[in-house]
Amino acid sequence: MTWETVIGLEVHVQLKTRSKMFCGCSTTYGEAPNTNVCPVCLGLPGALPVPNAEAIRLGVRGALTIGCAIHPTSIFARKNYFYPDLPKGYQISQFDKPLATEGAVAIESPERGAMSVSITRLHLEEDAGKSLHDRIPGMTAIDLNRAGTPLAEIVSGHDMRSPGEARAYLTTLRQLLIYAGVSECSMEQGSLRVDANLSVRRPGDPLGTKTEVKNMNSFANVERALESERLRQIALIESGGKVTQVTLTFNAATGEVKPLRSKEDSHDYRYFPDPDLPPLVLDGSWIEAQRSSLPELPAARRERYESALALPNYDARVLTQEPVIADYFEAVIAAGVEPKTAANWVLGEVMTGFNERGTFAVAPARLAALAALVADGTLSLSAAKKIFPELATSEEGAGEIAKRLGLIQVRDEGALAGWVDEVIAAFPDEVARFRGGEAKLVGFFVGQVMKKSQGKADPKGIQPILMGRLNG
Amino acid sequence: MSAADLARETGKRFAEADARGLNATLHWSQDVLDRDAALLDALPSGPLSGTAVALKDNIVTRDQPTTCASKILEGYVSPYEATVVSRLRAAGALIAGKANLDEFAMGSSTENSAFGRVKNPIDLERVPGGSSGGSAALVAAGVTVAALGSETGGSVRQPAAFCGVVGLKPSYGRVSRFGLVAFGSSLDCVSVFGKTVADAGRTLCAISGHDPRDATTRQVAPLVLAEGRTDLRGLVIGLPKEYFPDDLHPGIRAGCDATIALIRELGAEVREVSLPHTRYAVPTYYIVNPAEAAANLARFDGVRYGPRKIGPEGDLRALYRATRGEGFGPEVRRRILIGTFVLSAGYAGQYYNKAQGVRRLISDDFTRVFESGVDLLFTPTTPTPAFKAGEKTADPVQMYLADIFVAPASLAGLPAMSLPIGRDGGLPLGGQLIAPDFGEAMMLSAASVLEQSIDPMEEVR
Amino acid sequence: MIIGADEVRHVAKLAELAVAEADVATLATQLEGIVAFVAQLDEVELPEGTGVTTVGPDQLLLREDRIDPIPMSRTAAEMAPEFREGFFVVPKLGGLAEG
Repeated sequence: MTWETVIGLEVHVQLKTRSKMFCGCSTTYGEAPNTNVCPVCLGLPGALPVPNAEAIRLGVRGALTIGCAIHPTSIFARKNYFYPDLPKGYQISQFDKPLATEGAVAIESPERGAMSVSITRLHLEEDAGKSLHDRIPGMTAIDLNRAGTPLAEIVSGHDMRSPGEARAYLTTLRQLLIYAGVSECSMEQGSLRVDANLSVRRPGDPLGTKTEVKNMNSFANVERALESERLRQIALIESGGKVTQVTLTFNAATGEVKPLRSKEDSHDYRYFPDPDLPPLVLDGSWIEAQRSSLPELPAARRERYESALALPNYDARVLTQEPVIADYFEAVIAAGVEPKTAANWVLGEVMTGFNERGTFAVAPARLAALAALVADGTLSLSAAKKIFPELATSEEGAGEIAKRLGLIQVRDEGALAGWVDEVIAAFPDEVARFRGGEAKLVGFFVGQVMKKSQGKADPKGIQPILMGRLNG
Repeated sequence: MSAADLARETGKRFAEADARGLNATLHWSQDVLDRDAALLDALPSGPLSGTAVALKDNIVTRDQPTTCASKILEGYVSPYEATVVSRLRAAGALIAGKANLDEFAMGSSTENSAFGRVKNPIDLERVPGGSSGGSAALVAAGVTVAALGSETGGSVRQPAAFCGVVGLKPSYGRVSRFGLVAFGSSLDCVSVFGKTVADAGRTLCAISGHDPRDATTRQVAPLVLAEGRTDLRGLVIGLPKEYFPDDLHPGIRAGCDATIALIRELGAEVREVSLPHTRYAVPTYYIVNPAEAAANLARFDGVRYGPRKIGPEGDLRALYRATRGEGFGPEVRRRILIGTFVLSAGYAGQYYNKAQGVRRLISDDFTRVFESGVDLLFTPTTPTPAFKAGEKTADPVQMYLADIFVAPASLAGLPAMSLPIGRDGGLPLGGQLIAPDFGEAMMLSAASVLEQSIDPMEEVR
Repeated sequence: MIIGADEVRHVAKLAELAVAEADVATLATQLEGIVAFVAQLDEVELPEGTGVTTVGPDQLLLREDRIDPIPMSRTAAEMAPEFREGFFVVPKLGGLAEG
């Protein structure tokens, strides 16, 4: 009998603000430890939190992007627990009155195709600091630079049925939030973190006992960790055991999940409304203004590329994966390049370079100039592809580079006729066979002329001369 | 008088108060006084020039320690200054020392200080009230004409009554809490003591107004005092019957009766009113306040500041438990335990959520009375005059009931003040005025009229 | 009885507060007294739709997203009971899980 896997994800994303959630400290990543701190984020006696308007705005935009209803009134609460990187002994978070609820994200499941993952809630909270357990022998070192950084926590419904679906959801969610400008969503820098809940059951049965998996530092590892946990639970049940509610950590080196020591009593968080923060009340017209100013989201953009620009679905999908790539593509079109040609360039040479460097080395206008030389026959496509990397490193324009490298196509009839004559002289047997009716040998002669010209001959110019000589 | 002269004079008075053994001050230094005075003398004068103001030691200062009268903050010096302190300086006041208090402001007698009890300057055997007992004693002893205290549930009005001075709690949101060490955040108000109503009033004006660093302050301009009244004509003063129970202390009753007669003579209409949920104020308070306090005091964990103790197990938990177990005194520990209990799984609905609902009913009682045309309420401040040290320390609940007449206005966030209305057996008696939200100006002008007509030294029976 | 010795120990653990075994019984009695006192609220019927009191502003005022930390006259290192190589330092977590 088969097993059904049930997965829900909790995703924390860092909101893209300059300063922290409740104080004016910088959110810059990677500074010397305990330098971006002040009385508020150190939890000094007498300090009070004042929320960052931009964090609220980005939270609202993120929530709208994933189709959530924004609550006109939400409440910040205190989540009480002791931990050395939690300066106040409580985290300011939202509990029973979150910013937003009831959203949905459309994804492409590897097993089930197009489907929707429900979003239970999106709420705002502050991050804790970092505890480093191996920095100082025998001790735990605490860095509070991250303490107070604004986060949105996005809780999905238990809608995913495979680790692959979980990964597809994460990929889509990340893409949406980057599009909306809400977060950098970088797992390496910790601006996107994933906790997963997983249980297994026989199809049709009630939900099984779920476990929580933490410490997955890439989407690939989320998939691996969930696969490993899925198999662990199935093996456990099949051998007569019972799944217990436990928090597990993923070891990327071994590919295994291991239980964390249990946090006794830690689940009694004693939430209550934070008396330092009156209710967050959002104006309906302001929420609508945020909605209407959202950028075009990937699905809409993809649709537009397919319908208005007549691009194949594959091209449209890849181009819209990241907004920077789609923006680049559109700039190339705006500079006068035909859409399918622009797509071919971006999906080929441009993406290769972008994936290596993380930046676009060739300005869209310079690429457009290069493409124009192909369009008007000055350059062959293969010559243009040789020029493209030069555009990245040289100040020269495409035409100048082409001249310098001798890649301009030869269209002079005298020169073309010379190469044609040499080829006809060199291949008398083939000429005879052509004249005997083997018309397809034209391609052979054109190829030989190109070879003779070292690729410089304009193929369109060769044909009439060649035909004149062969038929004459 | 120059600030330099004031500094010398104030230092002399601190020394005299110390010599009397009042134990009202946790920190003062002639050096700091002189240095601050030199800065003030170099600036143009302000509304509080020539006024020395003592601070309750739960208001943070950069140049003097802030201990909250707790061992857990022994030696702690804040790296920043409270908004109210900056505002006092800007108004020209001389910041004059840090006054003793009940540890973390938890108490009604200032017997809970880790650094010894404060004595009532009127009768050294008796308590000065609490938790701002040090501030009250300093003003009563004439060391400063004004002092800042803090109120969570009557901690300024009650000691003002016990020491025979004026004590005023503003509306919640009138004065910034930034730099006031939090106790019960939805109740905490920086509050003022004055030798006179005018001293309290002008000190409050100087510290009031919106503060961008405190999201719970209201966006209103600083308080401006109303033109002086000469009588109470046109005012309706309500007497809530729940504040005058049959078993009210006879001295307090006599004092109130005399004041009520005076209020009538001064032209006000006096009307009996009812605030039916009054009796639930103290129990409500002792749920809401410990819940907030338990969370507010979680930050004192020995990780980032303050003294650190580590138990024999040597791990982090041993650090937390020993630092907090040894650092907090008995009343603070009790409140943390109660506060943790009333929010814990399975109990929050029964206690915390219920108390928040009852708090609403208490607040609605006031709203209804003020909407019926009553301008101010008059009540006794305390059920008895100052009691003897040690009299109520054995039973926490008896101590809590000392706040029965002051807790309701705190729960409702309303402005209220205590002013001296005479003496009974030599002990000061306090009468309380409670005003509608942000009605401080009217309350102060009425108090000022009463003050001019009352002899605070007169025996009421 | 609502608060006995076990409740005192449990709540003390949640609050990370060392309580000497010798004090547990006294504390239980005192806390029970307080809980019995506040239980007076049981007799209050809350009318349908009773809200909670909000003191202070009706809604939250926000601050602009500017880097503007409150200046400190003493550093984290100067205030900390133990500070090494730029970090606050605490003993290993023991009973508290890592992560």
